[in-house]
Amino acid sequence: MKNWFKLISWVAVIMTGALLIYGIHDMPAWGDPDSPANAHVSPRYILEATEKTATPNIVSAVLADYRGYDTLGETTVIFTAAISCLFLLRRRGGKK
Amino acid sequence: MLEYILAKYNFWIYVVLMMIGLYAMMGKRNLVKKLIGMNIFQTSIILFFVSIGVKKGGATVPIIMGHGHGHGQHLIKVADYLNPLPHVLMLTAIVVSIATTGVALATLILIYKRYHTLEEDEILAIRKDPSSYKTLG
Amino acid sequence: MIWQLDLFLLLFVIICALAAINIKDLLSAVIILGAYSFFMCLLWAEMGAVDVAFTEATVSAGVGTVLFVAAVFKTVRRSKD
Repeated sequence: MKNWFKLISWVAVIMTGALLIYGIHDMPAWGDPDSPANAHVSPRYILEATEKTATPNIVSAVLADYRGYDTLGETTVIFTAAISCLFLLRRRGGKK
Repeated sequence: MLEYILAKYNFWIYVVLMMIGLYAMMGKRNLVKKLIGMNIFQTSIILFFVSIGVKKGGATVPIIMGHGHGHGQHLIKVADYLNPLPHVLMLTAIVVSIATTGVALATLILIYKRYHTLEEDEILAIRKDPSSYKTLG
Repeated sequence: MIWQLDLFLLLFVIICALAAINIKDLLSAVIILGAYSFFMCLLWAEMGAVDVAFTEATVSAGVGTVLFVAAVFKTVRRSKD
């Protein structure tokens, strides 16, 4: 039964890998400056970030200024994780 | 064929990393091993996203040079800086992944307190037949 | 962007991932996962993503390894596979 299970998982893993390798065929060349990911949205951030936010580090400018609500949501996620860890690991039956 | 692999060799390596993580999540019986596999899986996807933002041909880190000194009009060229957008998104993803790992480890400790084992098949056997449960003192 | 260094780090990352999965001692596996995170951090610094490398080195390789080691100490160290 154990070998059967491992065989099934190997088959699933290899099928997923084959699909992904089939998808590599359509990827643009690595490090291409004109690839769609590099040519569409990010030039606007690179050109305007210093002038609009007065921050030389573009990553910080986008993280805290352009996508500030995104970072707020991330902080909420960490807070929820910390609270759930506290509730999961609290000592039960302390009062008896 | 070899040329076809070598042209995009790093994508092949990311796929191999992701397959390692997926196999550890599915095929391994130990719960900590499953978590290690989940970490490897997440890191490989983050690596893929970061590598999308790479530009060849003299691009540097996305920090505008010459800002605040001399007050001259610096001409900013897009090809001189890496794509900052994947870096921002993956910064969020790393922090969320560590939050996920923390909650998963807390659940793991609770599972160990209840069943006194971390092997998946032993837990399933105990759930099917509670008399096989061995107490650890 | 030196492709020799890139390939070297990628190979080390894969070796660390395979070792972390196949070792039966859970504490060793967790420490090797920390080494994996540090190699990944080097890889990102080499790709130019310095902010991501900083975050990985502190959060994933630091805090994550501490969390894993604490969990292994609170539970059991042996594993069957």
